[in-house]
Amino acid sequence: MFLETKGLTKRFGGLTAVNHFDMYVNKGEIVGLIGPNGAGKTTIFNLITGFIRLTKGQIIFDGKDITRKKPHQVARLGIGRTFQLNPLFADFTVLQNVSASFHLHPRSGLLDIYFNTKKYRRNEAYILEQSLEIMRLVGLDKVKDELAKNLPHGYQKMLGIARALAVKPKLLLLDEPIAGMNPDEIEFTMTGIEKTKQQGTTIVVVEHNMRIMDLCDRVVVINFGQKIAEGRPKEVRENEEVTRAYFGDEHVAGS
Amino acid sequence: MIKQLSITDKRKWTKPSILAGLVVLIALLPVIQGSPYILHILILTFIYIIAAVSLRTITISGQFPLAHGAFMGIGAYIAGMASKWLGWPPWLTMPLGGLMAMGIGMLIGYPFARLRALYYAMGSLFFGIGVTYIIYAGGIWTGGYAGLVGIQSMFGSSKVAYYYFFLGLTVVCLLALYRFEFSRIGITLKAIAQSHLVASSVGINEGWYRIMVVGVGCFFAGLAGAGYAHYNTVLSPASFGFMATLWLVMYVLLGGIKSFAGPIIGTTILVLLPEFARDLKVYSPYLSAFLLLIVVFLMPQGLVSLPKLVMLWYSERKKGKKITHVPGN
Repeated sequence: MFLETKGLTKRFGGLTAVNHFDMYVNKGEIVGLIGPNGAGKTTIFNLITGFIRLTKGQIIFDGKDITRKKPHQVARLGIGRTFQLNPLFADFTVLQNVSASFHLHPRSGLLDIYFNTKKYRRNEAYILEQSLEIMRLVGLDKVKDELAKNLPHGYQKMLGIARALAVKPKLLLLDEPIAGMNPDEIEFTMTGIEKTKQQGTTIVVVEHNMRIMDLCDRVVVINFGQKIAEGRPKEVRENEEVTRAYFGDEHVAGS
Repeated sequence: MIKQLSITDKRKWTKPSILAGLVVLIALLPVIQGSPYILHILILTFIYIIAAVSLRTITISGQFPLAHGAFMGIGAYIAGMASKWLGWPPWLTMPLGGLMAMGIGMLIGYPFARLRALYYAMGSLFFGIGVTYIIYAGGIWTGGYAGLVGIQSMFGSSKVAYYYFFLGLTVVCLLALYRFEFSRIGITLKAIAQSHLVASSVGINEGWYRIMVVGVGCFFAGLAGAGYAHYNTVLSPASFGFMATLWLVMYVLLGGIKSFAGPIIGTTILVLLPEFARDLKVYSPYLSAFLLLIVVFLMPQGLVSLPKLVMLWYSERKKGKKITHVPGN
């Protein structure tokens, strides 16, 4: 198993946002994490990436315990992520956003940077090349010199993904990548996610939009911080409990 | 504002040569006008330029410390005490003052790195005030209320020698800080200022960077303070109190916090201006505050943006004239 959470629990005061949540992700899969608003999906992402301290439980990634690691340490181990509200380096250009995100691979020491050594210049040249390649992959190469804050919503979302790819992630966590996009952009993003998977990246995606299910190998459904169903997209779609969580009791066939 | 990421490509030579010319002009000044009083004012300007620019360097990471005057004081007093009690020469005490300010800055930065914006400013403010009280309480070691006297001077009473020394020191410090800001380190700090969430999600150790930049800023403040100690040879805690910090903040804000040249211009104007209008010197805090208000309302980017604004205004006016002219035809 590539990523595994055991008994993941998070309480905010009296509210239990995530309750004994077990989940696993195999290498090379795309796993969908779906559920109604406030089900705890984003909290799970924040727990895995160390942005929030968990109350109880254990997270294992690639054979290592990452339960109490800090966000930058988690990134160092190879987990890239995007954010639902998609904060950006707003005053940087698109290119600067991506190349500033190349903090880890390759890594230059402070002194190398300061004294502009050969190693640092070689790293910078490599970063520039890699940034351009990532931007081509996500379709941002045409707007590379625009300021990030001036981009339309769809492009900003793609920029979030591009930035996460700069970490060279083995595992990519996408938080609502297609929310608020128009159909063309959705199509484009889904192809991009597919391509990223083919390059060997494991992906977990949180989404409201059920279209994302078409991409997923497996889907985990949560409600009120608890797992209520798990399985292939088709199985989950027919699951009574899932329908009830989304649409309420009266919509469940036969009840 | 934020230049290209890679610094490897050759920059144009015009800007550096203009700046080099300016430095040469400043260097020629004592030959033309060697009045000790003017040299004294300019030496102080150099010292405060180093401190103000180093304060602005910290702000690029999105932190706004309000204790920079105190860090100058730490540098000054460490250097002064090492000189007086241990008899160390200035070339040793000055780096020592800088390093001690850096160390204390980073030590304080560690718990403060979790605080953001307003809380950070408040925490550092209280720290700065605390430093003054520690100096007051230092008894014979720091000289207490009476001040620290008997620090070795560097060049005796020759103002010209001091002038060239501090001019050189300023140029070196500014080059060092410029390089710092426009390298990948500065880019990373600016990224942290824009979104620390995103920064840490791409593997940037945000806390360490924030402490590191405070260390760098405090080093130069301490160095400037230590230089001041060996120039003035007498230190008083009042020179490094909250007012000193406030003046440094003024220099930065008035000149322009978003630009490297901003604090240089701000310091030069605010230190020199009262000297040209001696009669108004008593009112200089009020006048400076008034000036700051005007600048903040009319040019939020500081005085450094004045030429651009004038040009913009001029071209708008020309355009406006054309438009009003057309219907008349």
